[in-house]
Amino acid sequence: MDVLFAKYLFRRILSAVLLIVLVITINFFIIHLAPGDPATIMTGLENPSPQIIEALKRKYNLDKPLLVQYFKYMTNLLKGDLGFSYVYDQPSWKLIGPRVFPTLSITVTASVLAFTLGTYLAVLASRLRKKFGDLIFSLISYVLYAMPSFWLGLILILVFASKLRWFPTSGMFDMRASYEGFRKVLDYLHHLFLPVFTLLLIQLPVFYRVTRASIVQNLREDYVTVLSAVGLPNDKLFKKYVMKNSIIPAVTIFGITLGFSITGAALIEIVFAWPGMGRLLLDAVFRRDYQLLLSIYFLMAVFISVAMIVTDIVIAVLDPRVRLL
Amino acid sequence: MKNIVLDVQDLSVHYRINKKVIRAVEDVSFKVEEGDFVGIVGESGSGKSTLAHTIIRLLPTNAMVVSGRIELLGYDVLSLGEEDMRKIRWKEFSMVFQKSLNALSPVHKVGNQLADAMKAHNPNLTEEEIIDRLKQLLRMVNLPERVLKAYPHQLSGGMMQRIMIALALLNHPKFIIFDEATTALDVVTQGQIIEEIKSLVKSLSLTGLVISHDLGVVSELCDEIVVMYAGRLVEHGTTEQILQQPLHPYTQGLVRSLPDFAQEKKKLSGIPGNLPDLSQPVHQCVFAPRCPIATEECFKTVPSTEEIDGRRVACLKVGARI
Ligand SMILES: Nc1ncnc2c1ncn2[C@@H]1O[C@H](COP(=O)(O)OP(=O)(O)OP(=O)(O)O)[C@@H](O)[C@H]1O
Ligand SMILES: [Mg+2]
Repeated sequence: MDVLFAKYLFRRILSAVLLIVLVITINFFIIHLAPGDPATIMTGLENPSPQIIEALKRKYNLDKPLLVQYFKYMTNLLKGDLGFSYVYDQPSWKLIGPRVFPTLSITVTASVLAFTLGTYLAVLASRLRKKFGDLIFSLISYVLYAMPSFWLGLILILVFASKLRWFPTSGMFDMRASYEGFRKVLDYLHHLFLPVFTLLLIQLPVFYRVTRASIVQNLREDYVTVLSAVGLPNDKLFKKYVMKNSIIPAVTIFGITLGFSITGAALIEIVFAWPGMGRLLLDAVFRRDYQLLLSIYFLMAVFISVAMIVTDIVIAVLDPRVRLL
Repeated sequence: MKNIVLDVQDLSVHYRINKKVIRAVEDVSFKVEEGDFVGIVGESGSGKSTLAHTIIRLLPTNAMVVSGRIELLGYDVLSLGEEDMRKIRWKEFSMVFQKSLNALSPVHKVGNQLADAMKAHNPNLTEEEIIDRLKQLLRMVNLPERVLKAYPHQLSGGMMQRIMIALALLNHPKFIIFDEATTALDVVTQGQIIEEIKSLVKSLSLTGLVISHDLGVVSELCDEIVVMYAGRLVEHGTTEQILQQPLHPYTQGLVRSLPDFAQEKKKLSGIPGNLPDLSQPVHQCVFAPRCPIATEECFKTVPSTEEIDGRRVACLKVGARI
C-alpha cells in the first residue's frame, strides 16, 4: 500500500519535472529556430544597440553550437536567473516578483471560496431535494457561467463602486490616503473585494455544477442502495460516503485552477486596474518582450507542475484507485 | 407441519417507464417453509430480481406493487411503514445482491464499511466487539482478516462475493435471498462458493431463496424450485420433481439444456426465441409463441396454475400428457 503510494508519488514528481524541462526546451527552440538573429529576437527591440547584442551573445553563448547554448540556457535558469527584459531594461524577476502576491491574492482567494461555496451549495441543493431550489441554482449558475468576466466586472464596478460607492473602482490602494499598518491591510482588502467577487462569481458555477452532477450520479450507485438497505442512517450515508465520493471531481478542477492562478485573470486585472501578473503577461505579448514572456512561461510551468503534484497527492489520499495509475 | 416463513400471494409488480408499463411480476404465489431453500429460475428478464426486491421492499421508485400480499417471518411486508422496515431489514432478513462488484464505496476500506453496517443495527457494541465479530464473520466465508484493511478494488470477484455474503450474514438473519450469488464468477470459484453457502445455510439453519438463471446452481442448493417465465410462475415442485420429470415445456427446455442431462454428442439445446414484450398485456399462454407443443387453444386461453401430485404447473397441455 505505502509502497504503491510512494511509487505513485515518484511517478508524479518525475512527470512534473519532465513537464518543466519540456517547457524550457520549447521556449529555447522557439527563439533559436525562429527566422532571424536570436539575439535581436531576444531583446524584443526594433533596433537593439550593439552593446545589448554583445552582452546577450556572451550570456547565452550565442556563437557556440546549439547544444552548448541549450545547456547554458538551462544552467542560467537553474541558478535562478530568469532573464532580462530589455524592453523595461530590468531583470525579469524585478518585474515579476512584486506582482506575484497581488495576483495570487485575487486568484487563490477566489478559487478557494469558489471551491468551498460551490461544493457547499451543491450539497445543500441535493440535501434540500427541492426541485425548485435546484432549478434556481442551476439557472443562476448557467447565466454566470456564460458571462464574460470583464463584462461582469464592469457591471459590478458600475453598481457597487460608482453607484453605491461601497467599494473603490480600481487599483490596489487608495493613492490619496497613504495608510500604514493594519489600516493599509484593510484598504487592500477593500480594494480586493470586487475583483475577487467577480472571479468568484465566474468560478463558482463550475464547482457547483460538477459537484451537483457528481452527487446525483453517486446517489444512483449500487453502494448507496446496498448501504442504505443494510440500515445505515441516511445522514451518515450521505455525509461519510456520498460526499467523499462526490467531491473528487471538484478537487481535480480546484487543482487545475490553482495551477493557472499564477498568470491570474488578466481581463479582470485590466478592468480593475490591478497591477498583477495577468496584465504583465498581456503587456509582454503586445510589446513582444520575449525575455519577459519566457520568464513568465517558465514560472507558470513550475507553478502548474507543483499544483499538479499537490492535487494528485490529495486525490490519491481521497481515492485509493488512482494509486494504481 | 413446518412453519411458513415466506408466503407470497398473487403478487404483481409493474414498472412504469416512458409511459409504458412493464409487467415484471404477474400473479406469483408460493410459500417457503422454515429451513427450506426455494430456488427461483428463469432466463434474464423473467422478473426474479424484481420478486426479490419486492420481498425485502427495495423496489425503485418507478415500481408499483399492483396486487398481492407478502408475509415474511410474520411481518406483513407490503403494509409496513418505511421506518419499521428499516429496523427489521438486515436484522431479520437480508440479501446478497446480483451486482456485487460496485456494492461497496470504492473510496472507503472494506472493514470500515462492514463496521458501519454492523453499528447500524447494534449501536451498543464497542469497537473491539465489532472487530471481533467481523473477524469471526470473515472466517465463516473463508476470507483472510487482511481484507478488512483493503479497498474494494483490491479484491477479486470471488472475494467481493464472499464479502457480500458476509454482509448479508452480519446480524444473523433468519431469512436470506441469494440473487445470482455466483453468476459472475469462474467455474471453480463458483463451485467453491456454492459449497460454502451449502454448509453455512446448514450450520446457521437459514431459510431463503436462491435466484439464478442457472438451473444447475439452484438444484445444488434448493429443496424446491420455482420456474418463472415472463414474470409468471410456470412451474413449482421439489428439486427432484423438476429435474427428473419436468412438466412444463419451458422447464423441460431448461432441464434439457443442463450439461449433465444433454446427450453426450448432442449440442446443448437452448430454447429458441425470446421473452415476449412485457409492456403488452397478454390474453394467451405467455410461452405459447416459443412452445414446441402449443396448439390453437394455447393462443386463446391464459392457463391457470393447477396443482398436480403436490406440484404446481401452469400449462393447458399438461393434463393431456400425463
Ligand atoms: N428499474 C426498472 N425500471 C424499469 N424496468 C425494469 C426495472 N428493473 C427491471 N425492469 C424490467 O423488469 C423486467 C424484469 O427484470 P428483473 O431484473 O426482475 O429480471 P431478472 O429475472 O432478475 O433478470 P436477470 O437474470 O437479468 O437478473 C425486465 O423486463 C426489466 O427490463
Ligand atoms: Mg436479476
